[in-house]
Amino acid sequence: MAESTVLQFSPFQSHVEEGFWKRLSSLKLNTLGLDETPVKITGFYGPCSHAQVSSHLYLLDESLPANLAEESSSSEMVLGNRNRCPIPGTLYNTNTLESFRGLDKQSLIRKEAKKIWEEICSGRVEAACAVLSRFLVISYADLKKWTFHYWFAFPALVLNPSALVSKLQPASEWFNLEEGKSLSEACNEWRKSSLTAVPFFLVIITADSHVTLRPLKDWETCQRDGHKLLFGFYDPCHLPSNPGWPLRNFLAFICSRCKIEKIQFLCYRERHGLADLTHSLVGEALVSISQEWKNPQFIPEAVGWERNGSKLAPRRIDLATSMDPIRLAMSAADLNLKLMRWRALPSLNLDKLSATKCLLLGAGTLGCQVARMLMAWGIKKITLVDNGRVSMSNPLRQSLYTLEDCLNGGDWKADAAVRSLKSIFPGVEAEGFTFAIPMPGHPVQAKETAGVLEDCRRLQNLISSHDVIFLLTDTRESRWLPTLLCTNANKLAITAALGFDSYVVMRHGAGVSADDKDASFSVCSSGIEGHESRRLGCYFCNDVVAPNDSTSNRTLDQQCTVTRPGLAPIASALAVELMIGILHHPEGMNAPGEMASSISESSSQPLGILPHQIRGSLSQFSQMVLVGSSFNRCTACSNLVVSEYRRRELEFVIQALNHPNYLEDLTGLTELMDKARSFNLDWEEDDETDIETVL
Amino acid sequence: MASPCDGTLSPTEFKFAAEALMKKWEECKSILHPWIWIPCPKLPFGAPDKAGGYLSLEHIHHFEFKKQQDCIEQKYSEEEVEALDSATLVLSGENETHYYNFHIIYSTSYKVPVLFFRGYHQGGQPLKCDEVEKDLPLYTSKLLEESKWTFITQEEHPYLNCPWFTLHPCGTSEWMRLLLQQRLYSSRPEDLCSHYLVAWFSVVGQVIGLWAPLNLVHCSSSSSSSDTFCSHT
Repeated sequence: MAESTVLQFSPFQSHVEEGFWKRLSSLKLNTLGLDETPVKITGFYGPCSHAQVSSHLYLLDESLPANLAEESSSSEMVLGNRNRCPIPGTLYNTNTLESFRGLDKQSLIRKEAKKIWEEICSGRVEAACAVLSRFLVISYADLKKWTFHYWFAFPALVLNPSALVSKLQPASEWFNLEEGKSLSEACNEWRKSSLTAVPFFLVIITADSHVTLRPLKDWETCQRDGHKLLFGFYDPCHLPSNPGWPLRNFLAFICSRCKIEKIQFLCYRERHGLADLTHSLVGEALVSISQEWKNPQFIPEAVGWERNGSKLAPRRIDLATSMDPIRLAMSAADLNLKLMRWRALPSLNLDKLSATKCLLLGAGTLGCQVARMLMAWGIKKITLVDNGRVSMSNPLRQSLYTLEDCLNGGDWKADAAVRSLKSIFPGVEAEGFTFAIPMPGHPVQAKETAGVLEDCRRLQNLISSHDVIFLLTDTRESRWLPTLLCTNANKLAITAALGFDSYVVMRHGAGVSADDKDASFSVCSSGIEGHESRRLGCYFCNDVVAPNDSTSNRTLDQQCTVTRPGLAPIASALAVELMIGILHHPEGMNAPGEMASSISESSSQPLGILPHQIRGSLSQFSQMVLVGSSFNRCTACSNLVVSEYRRRELEFVIQALNHPNYLEDLTGLTELMDKARSFNLDWEEDDETDIETVL
Repeated sequence: MASPCDGTLSPTEFKFAAEALMKKWEECKSILHPWIWIPCPKLPFGAPDKAGGYLSLEHIHHFEFKKQQDCIEQKYSEEEVEALDSATLVLSGENETHYYNFHIIYSTSYKVPVLFFRGYHQGGQPLKCDEVEKDLPLYTSKLLEESKWTFITQEEHPYLNCPWFTLHPCGTSEWMRLLLQQRLYSSRPEDLCSHYLVAWFSVVGQVIGLWAPLNLVHCSSSSSSSDTFCSHT
């Protein structure tokens, strides 16, 4: 460069590691609270080690004291190492975003600049030169959203007039070969010694090309000796035509303390941990000591707020994904399912599962278990309906409840279940409704009619707004209306029912359409020709009597529904796995029922066969897979009943609730039973006749 | 190692293998900085960690060839903050750089090394999974979908209490066994052990685009060409 130009410095760049924010969060929660006193912190940087990227000033978790009591008693600077030169700094943490934005930035930077100036003037810099790069950070930690707003300032004393640069070139060009070699050796030695955490130093070159590095406090001696003197510093910047930021305050120190106006400097940069002379720069700066500086009261202006991109603005870091426990729980659950898909079941459709909305009618032994299993499969939307309160015996068998839910008369089951689901997995969208499902055989009093109709409508709406409905109640008759409504709405219904030591889990057939051919007789335990074309049966298809009141007039032992505890988890698990199978089957709820011996191609589904019914017995530790067609006189899902419902809707429902015999008449069951009875009578009469005649 | 070689390592063998990798790496004069052994702080539950630490390679640059977006919330007028200064170099529209940290940590349940990695934007904002995936070499995303041995998942870092990305270790012993088969009969157990991490890294490094120096495995004296790991091929 022939003429002098203004020396332009490349600003320091900050890099804050997550550990710093974590420690700040815990400091704030445990110690600081609302205290806004500035906190002493330590930044770290090393010389540039890469041709294309500058090094940063880092804030790590060690940058903050673990607790504030420690701060005052321990030594002022945290120990660094050769790659982490410690630099003192100050953190101003505010309690609100408004106060963060309202901080007086000019006065803050002036405050830090004053500290630097005073340390230069007092000679402190010579003892602990890292203070020349003193910095400050303002921050606001939003601990609800795990977002941190922050802004660094690297105060640089402004020289007035600005420093000019008359020469700037790679060190390898400045020094001759011998000097270069000696310099490299000296630097590498310096870096290896225990003094390496010292970013500013003197470079002495003797007449015989021997180079030594000396600490700043020796500057007077070195000047007197008369050898060539360069001022060296760890340069974080990688640019070929600009020195890094630390040089600014270094120049201020040199011209005001050493009274030198023509300053030769070395921007020390490395490669692979060793001095790199082609990358390091040597230059000559021209500084004029202004008169003002001689005034002891004077404090120079300072600049140095860090730019965000090209703008002077704060930065923001969002750590919710790594600090928010809810986000962590959700991503862990998601990964778990993805792992299953990767390792075992590539055809697993996780998106479909998380979009499936499930309605659980009943939040008892079956409901609690089904809900948990659904969450394990990644189902997000679960709605529970139950009209009861949690009672003292419930927590033992109903896995969502604890003792607390039983106190003070017991919480509503639907509400307690929802709370419990959320405490297990915060990402679940759980809702609870407390109302009773209207049942045939439990007549509706006139004054209750409006309420019951309301409950019917609620049930209709819930069924139409969900994809899969689980019938998990504790009586036969309570399953009637949901079955009818699901058949009408063509929604997938899955029933689980328990005996003392036996269970049945089944999926109901698809919805009815006018031309459906239903079987004229019910359950078959073996495959029958043309079976697959028939609609599958529902829970009631096997029955020849309408659902009726099964709860009153029972003996005491019959009134308590007692089942072996192992049954509910088994049945619930099967019910959920059955649903998963249906969701993955190309035909969905229209898929034919399969049995283990079935050789039809659909049994080659990755999840295995898709049964219609599973009936099991604990006393035998056995399980059977069955298929049943729909019954054309079924009181819940037959064409007859569904079309009557469609014609008269809730009026029909009330009639059925009040007079179950009506259902038997409607479906022709009454007629069928009469025929059956009369048939028997015929038999009885012929009892005495000759067997040969009958045959 | 459980004999015959089943692809796993004991904790002490891991430490031995780690030292061998560090040494080899330095010898080959990789342009990347050396691996550092971080001794483990005592885990809070008191169970002594026999492996004693893990390997760390930090601040690896990955260059993005798109301009950094300025995401500013509130515009500050420059005068409000500080006066414009002629001595400050203002660079705008710099290409963004991503920074990656890699740790090789011993897994006691799988008895194999596991690669943990985490990426950051300039300034420290952690990279999201899809951003990391974009940085990986093109062939890797295909590999991840198809291979039954490579799967990137997120795990809690055993020492840093923070979720890091890892290459799931459940297939490692299988393919290590295959990889070491050739050497199994010709080498002494100590040699096999010291070669373990080198061999492991030659596979794993490729997946995440961290080029091992070419001579790391073959012990020749050529030097590698690229300094950073690249995303574009």
